[in-house]
Amino acid sequence: MTAMPRGSTAAPLLDVEGLTKRFGGLIAAKDITFQIRAGEILGLIGPNGSGKSTVMQLIMGLHRPNAGAVRVLGTNVAGWAPHRIARQGVGIVFQHSRPLHRQTVLENIMLGLLPDKLLKLAANRHVRERAREIAARVGLENVLNRKPGTLAFADLRRMELAKAIARDPRVVLVDEPFAGLTAGEVDAFAQLIADFRSDGRAVLLVDHNVKSIAALADRVFAMYLGERIAEGTAAEVTRDPTVRRVYLGGGIEVASRPARAAVSTPLLQVEDVSVLYGKAQALDRVSIHVDEGEFVSVVGLNGAGKTTLFNAISGLVPYQGSIRWNAADLRGRSPAAIARGGVVQCPETRELFGDMSVRENLDLAGQHLSVAQAAEQLEWLYELFPRLRDRHAQAARTMSGGEQQMLAIARSLMMRPKLLILDEPTLGLAPVILEQISNALERLRNSTPITVLLGEQNVTFALPHADRIYVMEHARIVWEGEPSRFAAEAAATYL
Amino acid sequence: MWIALVLLAVLLTLPLWASAYILGVLTVACYFGVFAMSWDLLFGFANEVNFGPTFLIGTGAYTAGLLNAHGVPMWVCLIAGAAGALVGGVVLAVPALRLTGPYFGLTTLVAVLLLQQFIIIFAGTTGGEIGLTMNDILSMDATTNYWYALTFMAVSGAILLTLSRSPVGLILQASGQDRIGAAALGFNVVKHKLAAFCVSAVFSGLAGAMLVFYLGTASVGTVVDVAVGVQVIIAAVLGGRRTIVGAAIGAIFLILAGELLRPLGQLSTFVVSAVALVVILFFVDGLMGLLGRRREES
Amino acid sequence: MLAVQILVDGFAISALYGLGAVGFTLMFGVSGVLNLSHGATMVVAAVTAWVVAGQHAGSPWLAALAGTGAGVATAFATYFLVVRPIQRSRSVPAAEKEIFVLTGTLLWGIMIQEAVAYFYTDNPKTVQPLIAGVMQIGGVRTPINELLIAVICWTVIGLLWLLVNRTKAGKVLLAASINPRALTILGFELSRVYLLVWTIYGVLAGIAGVLLATFLGASSAQASQLTASAFSIVVLGGLGSVTGSLFAAYVVGYLETLTAYLISPAYRTVPALVLVVLVVYFRPHGLLGRR
Repeated sequence: MTAMPRGSTAAPLLDVEGLTKRFGGLIAAKDITFQIRAGEILGLIGPNGSGKSTVMQLIMGLHRPNAGAVRVLGTNVAGWAPHRIARQGVGIVFQHSRPLHRQTVLENIMLGLLPDKLLKLAANRHVRERAREIAARVGLENVLNRKPGTLAFADLRRMELAKAIARDPRVVLVDEPFAGLTAGEVDAFAQLIADFRSDGRAVLLVDHNVKSIAALADRVFAMYLGERIAEGTAAEVTRDPTVRRVYLGGGIEVASRPARAAVSTPLLQVEDVSVLYGKAQALDRVSIHVDEGEFVSVVGLNGAGKTTLFNAISGLVPYQGSIRWNAADLRGRSPAAIARGGVVQCPETRELFGDMSVRENLDLAGQHLSVAQAAEQLEWLYELFPRLRDRHAQAARTMSGGEQQMLAIARSLMMRPKLLILDEPTLGLAPVILEQISNALERLRNSTPITVLLGEQNVTFALPHADRIYVMEHARIVWEGEPSRFAAEAAATYL
Repeated sequence: MWIALVLLAVLLTLPLWASAYILGVLTVACYFGVFAMSWDLLFGFANEVNFGPTFLIGTGAYTAGLLNAHGVPMWVCLIAGAAGALVGGVVLAVPALRLTGPYFGLTTLVAVLLLQQFIIIFAGTTGGEIGLTMNDILSMDATTNYWYALTFMAVSGAILLTLSRSPVGLILQASGQDRIGAAALGFNVVKHKLAAFCVSAVFSGLAGAMLVFYLGTASVGTVVDVAVGVQVIIAAVLGGRRTIVGAAIGAIFLILAGELLRPLGQLSTFVVSAVALVVILFFVDGLMGLLGRRREES
Repeated sequence: MLAVQILVDGFAISALYGLGAVGFTLMFGVSGVLNLSHGATMVVAAVTAWVVAGQHAGSPWLAALAGTGAGVATAFATYFLVVRPIQRSRSVPAAEKEIFVLTGTLLWGIMIQEAVAYFYTDNPKTVQPLIAGVMQIGGVRTPINELLIAVICWTVIGLLWLLVNRTKAGKVLLAASINPRALTILGFELSRVYLLVWTIYGVLAGIAGVLLATFLGASSAQASQLTASAFSIVVLGGLGSVTGSLFAAYVVGYLETLTAYLISPAYRTVPALVLVVLVVYFRPHGLLGRR
């Protein structure tokens, strides 16, 4: 390992200073500063909405920063076009593989070796040879003449690494390197990334949590809501109180729940469900059940598979396995029919009608009810979320994130669902709003017979209301039990 | 590839046994083949849908024709035609590279309409809807004309095919399929797409110029009309997108079919369009797809 | 005198353009389809009206009704035979669906155009004005029909506005143009929404076609020009924006009328085309566009 000793005065390969980016009113990255030297791996971590992806995109030139500098080997490339930044020595391994489907593996890798010239009518002999070498280095020597459509998921990821290696970059940005890989594949990939370090490159590893990159990263830089919250070794960052609060929330509080009578048939029965997105295993034989009146939380980081599970239940993605609602198989029913049947999802992306007012959004959802029922439901929802009443004529997209989330939840509730599926309602919201939504959920829980399935990465939010918890990791259910046991058993390994 | 060679072999032997009439039809088909191949380079590789290929073809044809009407020698006119079309290609590329989706397609269509209107309005110079008579023509002899056309198509095809299979072609495909991925690999996507436009323009314009020197007249109906442009697109899609060779095959097939159906009179266009529609609906990979060259999509 | 004539003629032709353009842009806004057989649909409506009026020597109102019905029928045929199969096809890659739909509707439009020409020749067909006679406006003798066209177009547009903004179904249509996925999760079947939008489109194009027949006459040879006009207007006003299309229709309509009267009828279409080019270069999303 040729990592530079601490305190070395060698100039950093990548020097990010005061990097700031605003999207309209949203500050995605604020005054971010860090350096990476040759032969060093820096882990950039943060939950969804923390700004880590934005920072990476800013370095690569996919967005222009509002302020700040990005120096690669001393040259400030901030604001340059991506292809120039690439030629300056920055390579990127994207989170989602992006192969050229009509070309072979060899051709895909060769592309990384070609100069940006218009008149290249014949590739130099050595380009092919070099491409073969790189393929062998990552383990693709046997599939050189195959097209990406026939490759396994891990091989597609290998090809992305190969393309980056072909560029021979001084700085490598790697986005969520291990998502979708099996344990064995993770080890192989970790070695390939460590090889980047041995080559003397500077590596920026972007991921959701410390755990996945702790073994590789020399240092870790943690972000939340666009700002730096901690920096240091992996161990130091894991112990940092702010980081713990962000991931686990405050102390893990559990409200005692009344004991529940045993139920013979669950309201929702998901059995052995698997989902493939292209080649990625998004769900791997997942089984859960939800009884009538229960509040079940599915806890897991982004990419664990919560959204995929909910989309399978709502009929939005094809799946293998069985999903039964009120003992009837949901397979074959259109998503709209499933929603009308009582299973209503409030998705992570909220999917509001931005140009329509709050009232119009709610009215739309209430079209399936009679006029009287709709009016009654609307009144109840205005009481649950008074802010919506105040803003009833306002266009949805001009509201704050918290208000939009309230509207999204209220809109789903307009349909009088029997099962409400809530996907990451707390994403990117400030704590005071979380409190309000949490209280609303509690009222909902206590005053109506509704059944709730909540997906969350914020454990503090997910625990207090829940009757039962599932923990998801890498497309599987890894733990199931009551909230009281969660603190003891699962919480330690969560971060 | 072999299909192209077989076809070429057949075409080479035609003057031995075919009538002047058939040679004439195929001469036009060859020029159409170049139109279609140029379109395929732009669409199949750079991923830009040009709904008005006749803008480039017509610009080339009329530049050559107007110069010739003033006594400029034919060979100079041909080069000028190609140059004129090149300018047109750049003009088309500028909005293209800023627009996405349907906007670009509509822009190309509007460009054709504008060209058509200008030609009709300035009928005094251009001959308007009646057309412009050329002072020179390529040849009086059907066989000679055929050789000119066939050679032109073969050479153009060879160049375009080589381009498509070269490293530059690879970069172009990357630029078309995945802008961001290509940029991350260090390629100036704008530069490459602009180059693709220019190549497409030069070949289209040159072919258009040669066509009017063959026909002896340049008219809106043969080189500018939207209907002609539609035929070019149908030829390329019918033959098989992204194959270059398919475009030429499609063009020949289409022109031959049009002739065969001539007895049907007005219905011939109907039948050809209907066949093309059926191909789009059911045989997405066109004739080349039917002949066994499966395109692998994700 | 001339000014009044220009004002009135321009108003009527703009209203007609507006009706056609609104249908075209609504179709794009709600279902993402650019229907290049638009002109052909209008021609079918016009010719049907002519056939019914001629063969049944009947009231032009009956002919108008028949023409509108033909417009709806053609719209349905376009949806079920061309657009929906392509959208549902598994062999067309998702990124190319839009282009295939464009090409498919283009071909379909040509087929319709040729079929009409085959059965009825491509001579312009006219239908008796719905209300005959002339009246004096500002000293100019104007056919009542012209005024009626403007009135009918604006009434239809007004009804459409009411539909979209004041009825449940209309709200669903509006929502579909904003976020179709959200509609699905709220329990609305998108297939029904598309059926509704194609029906409305058929009515709009049908009425526009019939009115065109009573005003200037329509022939199958005009089909592409009609489509071209509609999407020039729509691009000018902004794809997907109904208000934009209406505004642009008037800009184009008056530009054409002014040019025809003050310069020459032959140059009618030029200023509008030039304007479209300028807009595309400098403001590609149109004057009021959203997508």
